This record gives sequence, C-alpha cells and structure tokens, in this order.
Amino acid sequence: MSPPFFLREALRSIRSNAAVSIAATVTVLIAVFILGAFIPSFLYVQSTVDSQKQKVDVDVFISDAATVDQVNGLQTQIEALRTQGQITEFRYVSKDDALVELRERLRDPSILEELPGNPLPAKFNLQPTDPENAEGIIAALEGHPAIDQELGISYGKETADRLLSVARFIQWAGLGLITILLVASILLIGNTIRLSIFARRREVEVMKLVGATNWFIRWPFVIEGVICGLIGAVLSVALLWAVKVGVVDQWIADADSALTRDEATTIGFVWLSLLLIAAGAVVGALGSGITLRRFLKV
Amino acid sequence: MSTDAPPTPTEPDAPRPERERDRVRRRARPEGDGGRLGPLSRADRRSMLRPGDGPMVIFDHVSKVYGPNAVGLDDVSLTIDSGEFVFLVGPSGSGKSTFIRLLIKEFDPTEGTITVGGRNLSRLRRSKVPYLRRAIGCVFQDFKLLASRTVYENVAYALQVIGENPRGIRRKVPEILSLVGLSEKADRYPNELSGGEQQRVSIARAFVNHPRLLIADEPTGNLDPETSIGIMQLLYRINRTGTTVIMATHDREMVDKMQMRVIALENGKLVRDQRQARYARVDS
Repeated sequence: MSPPFFLREALRSIRSNAAVSIAATVTVLIAVFILGAFIPSFLYVQSTVDSQKQKVDVDVFISDAATVDQVNGLQTQIEALRTQGQITEFRYVSKDDALVELRERLRDPSILEELPGNPLPAKFNLQPTDPENAEGIIAALEGHPAIDQELGISYGKETADRLLSVARFIQWAGLGLITILLVASILLIGNTIRLSIFARRREVEVMKLVGATNWFIRWPFVIEGVICGLIGAVLSVALLWAVKVGVVDQWIADADSALTRDEATTIGFVWLSLLLIAAGAVVGALGSGITLRRFLKV
Repeated sequence: MSTDAPPTPTEPDAPRPERERDRVRRRARPEGDGGRLGPLSRADRRSMLRPGDGPMVIFDHVSKVYGPNAVGLDDVSLTIDSGEFVFLVGPSGSGKSTFIRLLIKEFDPTEGTITVGGRNLSRLRRSKVPYLRRAIGCVFQDFKLLASRTVYENVAYALQVIGENPRGIRRKVPEILSLVGLSEKADRYPNELSGGEQQRVSIARAFVNHPRLLIADEPTGNLDPETSIGIMQLLYRINRTGTTVIMATHDREMVDKMQMRVIALENGKLVRDQRQARYARVDS
C-alpha cells in the first residue's frame, strides 16, 4: 500500500510484459518525435512570417507644394494615430534624407549625379501596430492637403496582402496539423496501452477477486504508463537533438537564404525537451489509467 | 434424519458473549449494521463480516434473472450458520455459480436480499466491495492464480492487498504454505505445478487472511479423485478452525463420504436442504 510497492509492481509488469512495454515505448517515441520535429518548424515559419509582417510600413508622401503649417498639421494627425495605438512609430524623411537612402540602396549611385535636382518627395514613414490595419490608417490620413496628389499614400498593397494571407494560412494550417498530430498520438498510444492491458485482463480479474481496490490495481499500471512514456519521450528528445545538431544546424549554416538571415526565433531546445517529456509522461499515465477503467468492472 | 433449514434468521447483531476486541469495535459503531457506513477504518475493514450470533449467510427470497429465458436463481431462501460446512450441489446450470457470484457481489440479485456476515449486500456500496471480498476467501475450479508470479508471491499478493506489512507477510506466507504442504515449491510458477498443487496455492491464498467465510466453486472439478481427497481434507481442516465453508461441487462420492449439510439446486430452485446428507436424495 505504499509508493515503493507500486513502483516494484510496475517494474515487475514491465519486465514480464517486455514486448508490449517496448511497443508502447516505441509508439510514444515516434509520436513525440513527430511532434518535436513539427512544433519548432511551425514556430520558425510563423516567426519568419511575423518578422516579414513587421516590414509592412506605410509611406505618406508630402507634396513639394505643401506649406509648413500643412505638414505640421499632418504630423499632428499622425501623432494622434500613435496615441490611439494604431501605429507604433513614425519618422520624418526629408527630401535630402530620401536621396541619401536611395543612394545607399543603389549599387551604382553615379546615375543619381545626372539628376537635375532632387525629384524625391519628403515623406512620413509609419509603422502600423497591426499590418492588417494599414487600410484604416490610410483612410484616416487620406485627403490631407499636405499629401502629394499623385504619389499619395503607399504601403506596397499587393505584397502586404499576399504576405498577410500566407501568414494567416500558415497559422491555421499549423494549428490544425498540430491538433491532428496530438490526437493521432494520443489515440495511437492509448491503443497500444489497451492492447497491453487486454493481455492482462485475467490478471486484473484475479486481483479484483482477491479484494484489491481499483486504485490498488491502477497505480502500478499508471506508473508503468509513466515509465514507458518517459523513456519514449527521452529517447525521442535524444533523437531530435541528434537530428538538430547533425542535420538542421548544418543546413542552416550552409543555407544563405532570406529566411535564415532573418532574426526568426523558435522555441528553445531545452523548453521543447521539457515539454515533450512532460507530454510523454502525462499521455502514458492517462492512457493506462483511463483504459484500465473498462477492465475494473468485475 | 433429515431436517429442514433452520427457520427464520435471528437478528444478526443479537447479543452474545464476545471477545473484548469485538466489543470495542461495536461500541465504536453503535448502529452496527452493514452497508451504509462512513469511511471504513482499518479495524472496520478487518471486521467486514461480523455475524455475531446470527447466521453467516442469509438468502431471503433471492432471484437472479439474466434474461427472458435465463434464470440464475429462483426465489431461494436459506440460512447458513457460522462454522458450518455446506455442499452446494446440482447439475450444470442449476444456479450454483450464480449463488456464489452473488455472495461476493459480482452482481446484485434481481429480487430479494442477501446478508453475509450481518451485512446487507444490496446496501453495500460498490466501492466497499473489495473489503467484502477480503473477508471472504474464494477458491475456484480454474484456480485463478496470477501466472506471472511465484507460489509465494501469489499468496503474498492477498496480504499486500489488505496492506499487511512486509514483516507480517514474511511470517504468514511460509506458515500457510507449510499448512497446505507446498513449502518446497514456494519459488515455482503456477504453470510448473500440478492441478492439485495449484489448487493448494489457491486455498492458501484464500485462507491466509483467516477469513470467516470460505467459498469454493468446484475446487475439485479439474482434479483426479485422489488429489481431490487431499483438497477436501484441507477444506475440512479449515472448517474445523471455525471458518464457514461453502463448497459447490459435482463430486457425488465426496459428498456422500463427508456426510455434511447438502443444499441442492435445480433450475435455480432450492430443491433440498438436508443435514448430514448424501449427494442424491435417499428416502430412508
């Protein structure tokens, strides 16, 4: 009637049902491995998309003909937007600044020497809090007399729209996939445990006849589930670590794509490991505890 | 020389000279009847069966119907006193197994009430059934041993279930194994033993708690006549220690030889209840 007793009972049944215990452990290993590979990948893609989303900014071009008062009025309006929390920050880019920026972007700045004057307009560069709300910001500022009639307000509509819809798709598809994977893992593990308990239902029946309470029978099974879940999860974390160090890190170092250069972050390996190991233990415990219920009704 | 079953059951908790221990227990629980109880203390669990001066088992118009055409027991009323040895006889399907499964509350009767050791089983909550079973020793035709455990561990399990401490287990298990004559085979597994030996293990397990009531469902059903005699002797010795023994059997010769009380069932009905009787009715 004590924890050491139940632990001994659990170890005994793992030993005497080695094949089934190994099957359960391997099932957990595979399920946790798939989850462990998918979660960071999903988070990586998600955070990449997020960091791209931050690059969606709004340029409000100022007409060369605008008076200082008009420009100040426009600035007041933009400041009001910031106070409302619609934009996180804004900055004023003068005509000269715009030219400097352009010169830096161009590979061959010499072509700018040909220009008669400075054709670039001054602008306010706004950083929307929520890129999805860019339209609202534009609507709020549109028609201000200081704004350049032709250039107006630009926010790279097409790029932004495509990016946002991809981001939304990845978010939902990722969540859906993770859910399906979780459910599939739990069903798979539950099924394996059911097999192992089914093989021992005679034993459970005898225990009941001798007068064992349900929890007296259940504890060793739960502990057994936790042990199998833990071992499976730890092994799969080790495997994930090997794959990370041996393949993924190498691949990231070699690749020279826009994605890898971004400051996209994913979940830290330590946290991921802890999460996966805890999940393995919980699934093992619940799987055996719940499955046993059916066989306790003698 | 045949007598009918004892008449109306006496009050289960009728006063009687009792040992000090019993008296203390009773004072602790003045309402003193089975079924509806608060949390059971350790002492209560041990004393799940307290027949007092009353009968160990009372069946009061008990029927068990499994389905439209399947009747397990049909209006059976009988009492079995403490310390009795009772044979339960009848052909297959006569209701012997139903009788036994009702006693350990594997299921409830369709009608009527069953009282075991002064405890009304229909008022005993499901969660308390394990405590009832600990107070009743059970022996089955198919032994029902744990195949993955040795003889010693099988017997020890019954003690572990009731929370016996390791010291008590180390003392009691060898004791009971020597009583059933299996000291030499303590480390064997059930499948390494003969049928008779397995049945001895199962009896050892049933008796190691010293239950007040021992139920044996065709314990000699799978054994040859000589082995059966050994098992029978063992059960008789257990009965002599004061334990009530109820034994369902087909074994005509055995019943005739023992000259004990015989309860005969047929198609779920009680057809005969005779003391010092034979397997079949003899009109003297």
